[in-house]
Amino acid sequence: MDQLSALLVGLAMGVLLQRVGASSPALIARNLRLENLSIIKFMATTIAVGTMVVYLAGLWLPMHFDIRPAYVLGVLGGGLVFGVGFAVGGFCPGTCVVGLGEGRKDALFALLGGIFGALVFTLFFDALLAPVVKVMDLGKLTLAGVLHLPALVVAVLLGAVFLTAVAWLPTEPGRKAG
Amino acid sequence: MAAIPESVMTAGEVRAARALPRWAVLGAVFGLVSAASIALWGPIGVSGTYPRFIGALLRQLAPGYAGANTYLVKMGGFAKPETFLVLGLLIGGFLASRFSPQRAPRVEFIHSGETSTAARYRDAFLGGVLIIFGARLAGGCTSGHIISGITQLSVSGLIFGAGVFASGIFTARLLQKGGR
Repeated sequence: MDQLSALLVGLAMGVLLQRVGASSPALIARNLRLENLSIIKFMATTIAVGTMVVYLAGLWLPMHFDIRPAYVLGVLGGGLVFGVGFAVGGFCPGTCVVGLGEGRKDALFALLGGIFGALVFTLFFDALLAPVVKVMDLGKLTLAGVLHLPALVVAVLLGAVFLTAVAWLPTEPGRKAG
Repeated sequence: MAAIPESVMTAGEVRAARALPRWAVLGAVFGLVSAASIALWGPIGVSGTYPRFIGALLRQLAPGYAGANTYLVKMGGFAKPETFLVLGLLIGGFLASRFSPQRAPRVEFIHSGETSTAARYRDAFLGGVLIIFGARLAGGCTSGHIISGITQLSVSGLIFGAGVFASGIFTARLLQKGGR
């Protein structure tokens, strides 16, 4: 049953990512060069709506939350490596799969690169990485815990900040108005 | 972009200009999908499927090694919901492009350093290696850490997102200048 739910969520996500243009590596590159902010604004809108809905609905429904630990060195270092790869190839782990579905040949190369990256990581994790990445582990920390506020309050505040930012920022900063 | 006065637009153009932009509508729908996922089975996440795929392969090819590798043991079997999510991405991308007025290009050149198809494939492959290596180092990617993580107000998602955009924006600008 979880498998079927996940398949449907993935299907919807694939259609949305394709339609917004997130599976276009050229559009990702333009977003990272800050020439076009449509994908960044799409992600911020997703997070704003998602966080408010999930904590509001969580007042009545049980939720399958899964907070990931903030081991600072590994999370920040991994993010920095990820950012370089994101800019070089223009794909993320999900959008290259969507792009492959669309028939993009460069997406296939990104997917094969990802499989190779996973193999290298798996081979070296035990010996080299495990002792290093988990230092500075802050645990499963949330903003609500840091601020000592109810999660719903923080979710509404964060959602309001993100929605204000996306409404205020231009979608194509390169184009001068007037 | 200069704003065109509404008086010279057709009724359809006025509606389109007043309507919410595409990123806002699709982003709001994706927010509902991501919340529904947490309600149904768990937060969305993609990058863990890559090492689980390696695990499934190695359990066939080198079962002794696969059983002793603590990372593969920790990541678990291939029959997880996340694997079906990734399958959904593939089908979703296929269907969305089938019913789209314009077909996706087979290859896109994304920065000025890419002057041949071979260079583009090299960059896509290298980018693929780095995003999965980085994501596994961090324990999540754009979906698991940034979308699902920040949706759940996690500090790890915010740290990862800051790292991704700091180095991503720096690298993207460097590549464009360097190639000219």
